[in-house]
Amino acid sequence: MNPALNPPLAPSRGRFGFLLLVLAYAAVVVVCLWTLVAAGDLSVGRNPWENLLKSVGEFARPSFLDVWFGPERLEFRSDDGTLLRVEDRRAVEASYLAGLARATWITFQIATLGSLLAAVLALPLGLLSARNLRAPRPLAWAASTVLDVSRAIHTLVFGLVLVGIVGLGPTAGILAIALHSMGTYGKLYAESIETLDMGAIDAVRATGATPTQVFFTAVWPSVLPQFVSNHLYVWEYNIRDSTILGLIGAGGLGLLISEATSLFQWDRLATVLLVVIALVVSFDAMSRRIRKALL
Amino acid sequence: MTNPEPLVMLHQARCVAGGRTLLQLPSWALHAGERVAIVGHNGAGKSTLIKLLTGFMPPASGTVQVLGHALHQPLSPARLRALRSEVGQVLQGLHLVGRLSAQDNVLLGALGRMGQAGGWNAWRSCLRWFPPHEVALARQALERVGMAAHAHTRADRLSGGERQKTALARLLMQRPRLILADEPTAALDPAAATEVCQLLAGAAAATGATLVTVVHNTALLPLLADRVVGLSQGQLVFDMPVGQVTETQLASLYRPEPFQEPAHA
Repeated sequence: MNPALNPPLAPSRGRFGFLLLVLAYAAVVVVCLWTLVAAGDLSVGRNPWENLLKSVGEFARPSFLDVWFGPERLEFRSDDGTLLRVEDRRAVEASYLAGLARATWITFQIATLGSLLAAVLALPLGLLSARNLRAPRPLAWAASTVLDVSRAIHTLVFGLVLVGIVGLGPTAGILAIALHSMGTYGKLYAESIETLDMGAIDAVRATGATPTQVFFTAVWPSVLPQFVSNHLYVWEYNIRDSTILGLIGAGGLGLLISEATSLFQWDRLATVLLVVIALVVSFDAMSRRIRKALL
Repeated sequence: MTNPEPLVMLHQARCVAGGRTLLQLPSWALHAGERVAIVGHNGAGKSTLIKLLTGFMPPASGTVQVLGHALHQPLSPARLRALRSEVGQVLQGLHLVGRLSAQDNVLLGALGRMGQAGGWNAWRSCLRWFPPHEVALARQALERVGMAAHAHTRADRLSGGERQKTALARLLMQRPRLILADEPTAALDPAAATEVCQLLAGAAAATGATLVTVVHNTALLPLLADRVVGLSQGQLVFDMPVGQVTETQLASLYRPEPFQEPAHA
């Protein structure tokens, strides 16, 4: 038939197609919910409200307050009234805070060194996978595959494997962050390079400059601010990420989170989380300001 | 001119890309100090000619001699760079390194000679650490095109006309023997276009360079050229002094081939 008649039909078909997509999505949600209910797995425990109130109550009084307001002589007595031991709550919480500071520092170390290692590892891969640099096809394909794989595997999974290889401690955390972030860095690098003004680079090439000169005078000044901005962004992300690495034994704040949760010490968890929030928010604000100044 | 040897000499040169002949010139020469304009419709082979003369596109057959370099033979990268440092290019777009200042962009014109000097000079040029006499030259070049006030403005904050003037200052800095300008006014408004053309002609006159310009705006022809070369579909149509070119000849170049094939929707 006349091809000119087709376009008016297309939007209605598009709308119908969208409706089908919505129905398919609804079906997926219903199936997920139904199977959970059918298996009896969608329960909220025996007394959720009571537990919630208890947790919230403890959360509302973070443990660090005890450093100033806690009892200096907290007596633990057995049922018949004999004194078992006396605890100075202020001293106990002060030493907990000191431990928390050390853990925060370890988390920061893991995020910082892991990010830097990732940034360095990703540089050649990003250069190879940037389409406009036209690296040999197999090399470009291999580089982008490595980047995709490293992005697909979560930091925690890398961490679990690495703890088995290099043992417990920050080394495993640093390597886990590096291996996962490498994928993110590589992709961001490649995107920055792909948005380069190739005309400007050709113009410098046309003055008879050597490839080294072209790289340092035309390519490098154009991509450096973006690279620095990418670096700050991923670094910031990794500070958030490394706070849970301790859960799998890679050291840092995560270890304290896991300790507090397994002992149901919600007041201590509240203290740790406040530190996490302060750390992330302050780094976030700082990196945003630097990135804004750079562009 | 004192030099009898032509600056540019083409013989039976043919450029092919993707199985299509883009340009075919039987014989064509360009002497030192000449000012030539190349006119023709889009796809006539104007940009191909410019690419051919700078070694960005080697000829499929025939011979091409530019400034004593035989471009029909594979050139070593160093020879190619030596050629490019003597050929100044002004490109269609406004291509400056956006994050560098106007003055730094002008200084990039010195990269060719600093790279060829080798050793320490080549290395310091990579750090954009230019010797004082080159910086002084850059200031002069900027002053010449009326951009001295913007020397420290970042190139991506300049207007289109200012960018093209900065590119001209870079050209002055490079001091080429041959200037190839591919539609230098394409992105500019008429007033800026006239100013840039005057500056371009002035730059060529000041350095004694041979000037080859691709132009669409025929009103600018007398400013830029003594000789006009008409191209159509990769073939040479005419090559004559600018005073003898008639409106009809120019118009015939831009007229689409009538009734050649029915137009597709």
